[in-house]
Amino acid sequence: MSKALVDKKKREDISKKILNLFKKKGFNFIDLDIVIDTDLLTQRSGEAFKKYALNFKDKSGKEISLRPDLTIATAIQYIQNKKKGVGKFSYFGSAFRLNKKGDLRVFDQIGCEIINSKSSPEFLILSTIMSVFQKLKKTEIIINDLALFQNLINSLDLPRRWKLRLIRHCSRKEYFDELLRRLDTNYDLDNEKIRIDHDRLTELKGMNINKIIGGRTVEEIIERFEKKIKDPRDNFGGSQSVKIIKDFLKFKAPLGKSTYKLKNFFDKNNLKIKDLNKSILKLKDLHRKLGSKYTISFNAQFGRETQYYTGIAFAVFNQKKELARGGEYNNLIKTLGGKQTSAFGAAINLNELK
Amino acid sequence: MSKIRLGLPSKGRLKDESIKFFSEKNLNIQNSNSRNYFFNFEKNENFNGIFLHAREIIERLNDGTLDVGISGLDLLMELPDEYQKNIKILKKLNFGHADLVVAVPNDWLDVQNMADLEEVSFGFRDKYNRRMRVATKYPKLTEDFFLSRGVTEFKIVGSLGATESYPFTESAELITDITSTGSTLKENNLRIVSDGKILKSSACLFSSKKSKQKEFEALIS
Repeated sequence: MSKALVDKKKREDISKKILNLFKKKGFNFIDLDIVIDTDLLTQRSGEAFKKYALNFKDKSGKEISLRPDLTIATAIQYIQNKKKGVGKFSYFGSAFRLNKKGDLRVFDQIGCEIINSKSSPEFLILSTIMSVFQKLKKTEIIINDLALFQNLINSLDLPRRWKLRLIRHCSRKEYFDELLRRLDTNYDLDNEKIRIDHDRLTELKGMNINKIIGGRTVEEIIERFEKKIKDPRDNFGGSQSVKIIKDFLKFKAPLGKSTYKLKNFFDKNNLKIKDLNKSILKLKDLHRKLGSKYTISFNAQFGRETQYYTGIAFAVFNQKKELARGGEYNNLIKTLGGKQTSAFGAAINLNELK
Repeated sequence: MSKIRLGLPSKGRLKDESIKFFSEKNLNIQNSNSRNYFFNFEKNENFNGIFLHAREIIERLNDGTLDVGISGLDLLMELPDEYQKNIKILKKLNFGHADLVVAVPNDWLDVQNMADLEEVSFGFRDKYNRRMRVATKYPKLTEDFFLSRGVTEFKIVGSLGATESYPFTESAELITDITSTGSTLKENNLRIVSDGKILKSSACLFSSKKSKQKEFEALIS
């Protein structure tokens, strides 16, 4: 038998064992579609996502993509099957993504997801994933709570549009850094142009407010213009906020000490973080239940690049190899066309399991 | 020595300016007014010339069936990166100047710059549950530029012409288009976004990487 076939057989045997383990924890196997409507992907992540997916056109000219991710495929199936109540799913299959050069990368994944759970699912998912790796030594977990970042931004003394911008682009590192540079220098609006446009505002106000201009109503344009010029433009403490954001993103600590250190960080910067206690409780709970078995570190940078994570995110490493990754994605189902639904899941990277 | 295969634009000002460019180098075309696609230079037998569509010239330089040619920089930049590896810009020429720009309806007073567009695009998706549409003949350059400026919530609508009309026929909300003076945009009630210049283009003298570039440079210097 060729080496490739031996490897394939080995991978299938491992997968069966893992799926059985997931089943014992109450996760039911589902078979996921291999192709996804490209419009659904772009609806969620914009055109940017198309660059990383392998896209085709079907006979009717409709664009379809090979699934770039099994979590998205699970969420789509949950919506399409009009499931209600708590769903505990497991899956096995390949995800197809293009790297920056445009080369195809195939990731064999096996994972579990809890959708619409009323209680906190992070411990169940983390402990289920870790049960697969219990025989491995020197396994490390990196953890973050992305809700903390969002709440940190919202607590800063910044115009609302800047807060939205920073939150929206948190996952796009290069552009986020560019935003911080701009925020640092307060480069945003051209006051001279605003003055000229302000003169034309009277003209616009004379129009029918429901008139559509380039897909937007006159009312909508006036409303945003007035909101924009009222929003503080200067002296809003951009540099100070940039410093806080940068310092926060450098924050790393063993999970056991992180809650205390995080509180200190926010107190030192006089920030009132919404739902801080909720985040602290979640992190403390995970430390209490898993901290004695595994090395767990908090890292405020971790998980940023995955656009759909909204809360706790984690990855499991062994000898620098990333074995598994997962997190909370409470907005994904809504952006794919479903209702607002809580969800938490993780996938094991079979390519790294020998 | 085998002859240098030269491609020149077959129509309009780009054709006239290209012919003038070679005339100034004492390379006068013998049969430029005929319907014949092929041409030669007077008193110089080193070239086999052909008039082609400007886009076709880029294609032929890419596959190596032309050695040199004149075409627009915008046309090269819009094609996949692979083309830029196969084609060299020998010289940017002093004609065919035009900018690829982002333009919005003039009455969108609240949109001055790309940061505004970024904000409006998210608002548009939230309000209408669909992405803002951008009509363009340059999907690749537009997509790269929008993403680099943080505008991720958009959808490209391919246009073959009269792109300026799209925002007023409910086919798109805004456009990107090539413009030299901006007057067509103004006449169609569109305004260029202040930091919305995607590309500064002009006619260029290109050579295929497989070409006899040195021989050519010596001939026209």
